[in-house]
Amino acid sequence: MKVGIEHVRAMTKAIDLTIPEDELLPVAIRLSALLEIMEKIESELGDQMDTVDPVPPVFAEIARLP
Amino acid sequence: MIESRQLSPVELVHIYLKRIERYDGILRSYITVLAERAVEQAKIAEQEIAKGNYRGILHGIPYGVKDQLYTRGIKTTLGSRILQDYVPDHDAAVIERLNAAGAILLGKHNLHEFGKGGTIDFPFGQPRNPWDISRTPASSSTGSGIAPAAGLCSGALGNDTGGSIRWPAAANGIVGLRPTFGRVSRHGGLMFGWNADTIGPMGRNVFDCAALLQVIAGNDSRDALSARVPVPDYISALTKDLRGMRIGLIREMTWVEGMHPAVKGAMEESVRVLRSLGAKVEEMSLRLAKYAVPLQMMTTDADVASVFLKKWLRTDWDRFDKGTRSRLATACLIPAPIYNRAMRARVLVRQEMLDALKNYDALITATHLQPAPSIDKSKETVGTVSDMMERVLRRRISTWPFSGANVPAIALPNGFTDDPLPMPVSLQIASNPFSEETVLKIAYAYEQATVWHKRHPNLDFTTRQLTS
Repeated sequence: MKVGIEHVRAMTKAIDLTIPEDELLPVAIRLSALLEIMEKIESELGDQMDTVDPVPPVFAEIARLP
Repeated sequence: MIESRQLSPVELVHIYLKRIERYDGILRSYITVLAERAVEQAKIAEQEIAKGNYRGILHGIPYGVKDQLYTRGIKTTLGSRILQDYVPDHDAAVIERLNAAGAILLGKHNLHEFGKGGTIDFPFGQPRNPWDISRTPASSSTGSGIAPAAGLCSGALGNDTGGSIRWPAAANGIVGLRPTFGRVSRHGGLMFGWNADTIGPMGRNVFDCAALLQVIAGNDSRDALSARVPVPDYISALTKDLRGMRIGLIREMTWVEGMHPAVKGAMEESVRVLRSLGAKVEEMSLRLAKYAVPLQMMTTDADVASVFLKKWLRTDWDRFDKGTRSRLATACLIPAPIYNRAMRARVLVRQEMLDALKNYDALITATHLQPAPSIDKSKETVGTVSDMMERVLRRRISTWPFSGANVPAIALPNGFTDDPLPMPVSLQIASNPFSEETVLKIAYAYEQATVWHKRHPNLDFTTRQLTS
């Protein structure tokens, strides 16, 4: 998905964050790149992703509570 | 030597302080130097040792820490203008442990702002690589990579969320270990990557890192995700015999298009050395490793950004470095459904690595595909999607998959470029969760069979670059 500066402006407003106009573009580019890669990941792994829980990468040794 | 009183901790501290005074005006590895305090601590250590109260291998040893770890009554800036006057009222758990071991805190090391890579303008001085001061010492435990390499402390502690211990270790020609997540308490480290942040040792050789890890490892009830796993004797794991060990070389994280010829040559030679030590080394594939970097950026960065949004992004935008705020703002905008899907994908990427480790004692890669680039080229300014792919994502491919899996990984020198000012390149060794002794053992055996750790930068020569 390609994110434009108008999207970034709206999204930042929604979380009460103000970014100067001249800094919107780098954020849009970074976000676009990540979302574009996520689309690739979904197309390759999406079905498998449906079958697992989003468990954080911590180990059973840690989760064993007293 | 300190135990047998052949070397005085006070003399040692003075040696480092003189070197800091002479070279650190250019290298900028320290934000705060604790000269008087260190001398006082050294005197106490000397007296204790003279009375026969030797506390162990780090007693009287001067070390530095990334200025991301809390130190009671001592400025902890996070490399940021926002916290330039912040003084914590308690020590990080690792500082407590080093204090108890009698080690001497020499100072706080420069870093990329808040431990996030990508700082463009350093408020406490531009850190420089001691091998060639026109080049980056890498991120984000920057000063903690420079200082041991330049002989400005005996060892250091860094923080590694993605590759922040291992890349500076590689760039500066030293050893750096990211421990298993949970092995070392995060208490008192201002870090918000709650399931990825680790604190680990950096030093001139594998032994020094093993000695530091020995002291800082172990369960701590103040860290909710601290592991209840016994800490083995890391020093006794340091043997030179690798017979029977199975090592997998990960293709996707090593033989990557665009890798520097010196990195390639050093990896080929490293495989030969490991085989000569008795290890069985074979190439293997982790086809999902390529997704580890963006997935961690969509998740861990979002975790971190969620805290920064509330704390400072809304109120102190202008006081952040431009590189930091751009990355954090991006992470703030990751939609929740994307975050959830990315966490699911991380499970698959991580599982692939953990499954591979059932077949191998260790996995190896180059730590970085390139030697440290020029300071200018290292800046993560993003003007196009291609910048994002090259400057931000691709350069992390060798280190971040191990962070995503939260397994231990060590970086150590395995060669040099043939540049007029030769730059170090690095081998990375990772293993199963809580198998730090395995990575230390392999690293030590490799190190003892090679000469790279014996080379040190000629600071009188390299620091002249800036003045000439």
